[in-house]
Amino acid sequence: MQILSILAFVLIVITAMAILVFRDWRIVSGALILQYLAAFAMVTQTWPVGMAVIKLIVGWMATAAISLTYFRRENVPLFSETPSSFTFRGLIGLLVILVVFIGAPSLQTNVFPELDLLILQSGLMLIGISLMQLGTTRDPFLTVVGLLSFLSGFEVIYAGLELSSLVTGLLAIVNLGLSLVGVYFIIKVGEETSLTVSEEDKQ
Amino acid sequence: MSLSTPILWVLLPLVIALIALVAFNRRVFSILLTSLTAFILSALAYAFPESMEFTIGPLSLTFTESLGFLGREITLSRELLPFISLIYFVNGIWALGSGIKGVSRIFRPTSLAITALLTAALGVRPFLYAALLIETAILASIPMLSPLGKAPHPGILRYLTLQTLAMPFILLAGWLLSGVEALPPESPLIIQSALILGLGISLWLAIFPFHSWVPMVFESSNPLVTSFLQFMIPSVVALFSLNFLNRYTFLRESEGLYQILQTIGIIMIALGGSWTAVQKNIKRAFGFSTLVETGFSLLAIGLANQGGLVWLLTLMPARALSYWLWAFILSRIEERNGATELAHVEGFARRFPILSIGLLLAQLSVAGMPLLAEFPTKLSLLTAAFESSPALGIWGFIGSLGLFLFTLRLLIHLVRPVPEEEPNRWQISENRSEMIPVLMMVGILIIIGLFPKAFLANILQTLTAFSQLNP
Repeated sequence: MQILSILAFVLIVITAMAILVFRDWRIVSGALILQYLAAFAMVTQTWPVGMAVIKLIVGWMATAAISLTYFRRENVPLFSETPSSFTFRGLIGLLVILVVFIGAPSLQTNVFPELDLLILQSGLMLIGISLMQLGTTRDPFLTVVGLLSFLSGFEVIYAGLELSSLVTGLLAIVNLGLSLVGVYFIIKVGEETSLTVSEEDKQ
Repeated sequence: MSLSTPILWVLLPLVIALIALVAFNRRVFSILLTSLTAFILSALAYAFPESMEFTIGPLSLTFTESLGFLGREITLSRELLPFISLIYFVNGIWALGSGIKGVSRIFRPTSLAITALLTAALGVRPFLYAALLIETAILASIPMLSPLGKAPHPGILRYLTLQTLAMPFILLAGWLLSGVEALPPESPLIIQSALILGLGISLWLAIFPFHSWVPMVFESSNPLVTSFLQFMIPSVVALFSLNFLNRYTFLRESEGLYQILQTIGIIMIALGGSWTAVQKNIKRAFGFSTLVETGFSLLAIGLANQGGLVWLLTLMPARALSYWLWAFILSRIEERNGATELAHVEGFARRFPILSIGLLLAQLSVAGMPLLAEFPTKLSLLTAAFESSPALGIWGFIGSLGLFLFTLRLLIHLVRPVPEEEPNRWQISENRSEMIPVLMMVGILIIIGLFPKAFLANILQTLTAFSQLNP
């Protein structure tokens, strides 16, 4: 069980860094799928598998929805990046990892004594790195991925604190809602069914 | 036959919102369905009998206050009904005015669904789960802010991000607070819990420095939509926040907390007012003014021991009507003029004097001008702030002047003659559908300003839901 947790933790760090550093939607989507798998493994440490699997399914559904919508876009923007921005994001990601490793033990002692350190570190990694992601992008797809990742990190921690079917259900709705908002944002520009202009306005 | 209040004020409007969404293309039907539903629900909440029983012919309906849901409960007690009546009434007037150009067609069903979700948020037990319902309402609001097929404005992305970040903080604070009740007041865990709670609520209320999305979203979206959200979400969050004060003794009895709330409130009023005064776009000024109003709400909660909660609630109906008038006229100006920058409204009053007067009066009502709706409450609030600390009172007064100054600047632009037009020619170009609602609302704002107690007293019953805070 401990080995599974460590593997899940490593996977969480790698996927969170991949989402932060890379801007290619294929890499980001792949990393998000693996991240949900790792988060699921972490949640099974405290929750029954039957409940934890809801998070995995919802996460994968959310990823599929936004990734497939992005895939269907006709003009997928190519992110041409300078090596300095790439390096910068990598460095701030490493900084977050360092801060989490330093700060998590005292946070566990003072605030979350009943929570396993590895679970706390996994959640904080996701939260911290996704906050950096949210702070370094204005792209709707990456913003929504960042928010999904942030919520995933929170859910890893919260699962260790409380088991409630209502919260699980509502968090599933929030995750799916967020992915639908992402789909809404990235629907191709120029779609004719603009909801703003009413029939009366056209006349 | 037995029903529960959440079925009436949560499930029913959600079902009707779904029907209105299916028929979103049929404008008149959609307006009638959503506004009538909202007005009927508002009237029912206003006049709900104490016995919780209705008899319609042979049918006798008995209402219970709770509805079980996934192992938890949604309880809409009778004490909450005056506030529920207000938010459905607000929903009704916004839906009624939403037939104008530029308002998203899905605004009507979405606004009804948002009102239902926020109502559920007020009643869900344990109350911290409200965070998830409020987040769902925020997600639902995105499509009406950002038209389909257009790249989302950075302000909308920021709104989504900051509002979503609030939810985990509230849930976490709720969990922490449940464990600190038995701890001594000097425990560091109490301060940590209060900080996390404060951070979550600050994100929701767009308190400085999390406010940057407000003017951006106001500038990029339709004023009727943005004003609806900036009334509903802060009002519900403010009332929801009272749950924390009511439930936790250490928060309620902390003198420092009230001082912090007063200070943050005054900072919001002063900064928001200053920003409002220097804006070049009426929509952005509207956005900053809503931040000032949030400041007044915080100040009112901070002055809870001096009766501030009464002012918190009495401000809400007056604020709602003033926002509606401001947003309605701004939408019309945008439709007529194409832009809402001060430079683009020069001479507008010469062609549209009634819209212009309505706009100025709406702004002055929000600013707290004597004889208008918000004046009596704001005067009481600023007086209490001054008595609490003269510095607070003075800064509050300075902040309140911001919107007055902006209105003065707007007036100068509105009446300034345009060189290519005949200099002294004034005409009324408004049609009836513009004049009637504007004149009616101006009349209502003046009547409320003259007889505040007659119109604003009912909502005060909401305070009985917070038994520990009841003055």
